[in-house]
Amino acid sequence: MTSDQAWLRFSWRLGTLIALAAVCAAPLGACVRRPAEPTWAKFGGDPSQGAILVGRFGCGACHQIAGVQGADGKVGPPLSTFADRTMIAGVLPNTPENLVRWLRHPQAVVPGNAMPDVGLTDAQARDIAAYLYRGP
Amino acid sequence: MTWLIGVVCGFAAMGAGALVVIEGGLFNATASTPHIAAVGLAAHTAFIRSVEVRAKGVEAPTRFAPADVTAGFRDYDRSCVACHGAPGVSNASWAHAMTPPPPYLEDAARRWRPRELYWIVGQGVKMTAMPAWAEVRSDAQVWDLVAFLEALPYLTVADYARMRAEAGSATVATPGPGASPTAPPPFAPE
Repeated sequence: MTSDQAWLRFSWRLGTLIALAAVCAAPLGACVRRPAEPTWAKFGGDPSQGAILVGRFGCGACHQIAGVQGADGKVGPPLSTFADRTMIAGVLPNTPENLVRWLRHPQAVVPGNAMPDVGLTDAQARDIAAYLYRGP
Repeated sequence: MTWLIGVVCGFAAMGAGALVVIEGGLFNATASTPHIAAVGLAAHTAFIRSVEVRAKGVEAPTRFAPADVTAGFRDYDRSCVACHGAPGVSNASWAHAMTPPPPYLEDAARRWRPRELYWIVGQGVKMTAMPAWAEVRSDAQVWDLVAFLEALPYLTVADYARMRAEAGSATVATPGPGASPTAPPPFAPE
């Protein structure tokens, strides 16, 4: 056996080992990281329609929202990377259903806060929630 | 000499292109579709610069009196709130159908100087449906609206509702359309 062959065999084994380790570690990584399936996909909202509605309902006057033109407001909190948020309005756990509820009836959830009930339908709120979770 | 021919040909091509867009009906003038991002950005930037440049000569009052804010509130609550909303108050449902959508003005005073607000309110904004209020209001009345806009970032939902109650507007923090069918519209006919 030449040293060349030994080197080749060693490389092959090392490569196999690394590949095996990667395959084994992948599910482990999935446990630690966010689930692969996006949250918004479960409850039926259309994110691209949501992006249009965010513009129409003037959300950007008060909020910074990535991917929405002119959405640079600093009245309320920035909404980019909303999926990473823990609480909505400081009072509701960040779940899709809670987000829809908050978007539709902010004055009922936190009476006297600056965000108005703009008259979103359930479907519109779902579209907007889908966009906020997915991002641009 | 060849560069001159190039420039002339370039401009001719641009002119021909513009003609095709305009005459061919390629520009979508409907309000049901948002602006193409580049067009929206160009128009909005042109608007901001137009206001900044043209409002330079305006002499703004050094301070506003509480009475100015109250007078401005009355006018705002009658003429502006339908499009621009207020703390805790949605704009009208049909305002969501406008392009560009009229903005909430909670932080307008942080985005613009008083003289610039005076200019925007008084002179209006082309192609946005924002009227030139100086055509139908006195100079003092336009400044009253500016006084109110300057106070707006400090007003809570409760403050606005209280101002409405004191002004006899009869409405208390009008919720969104459909939520309270008995509530009168947030503006009274003149």
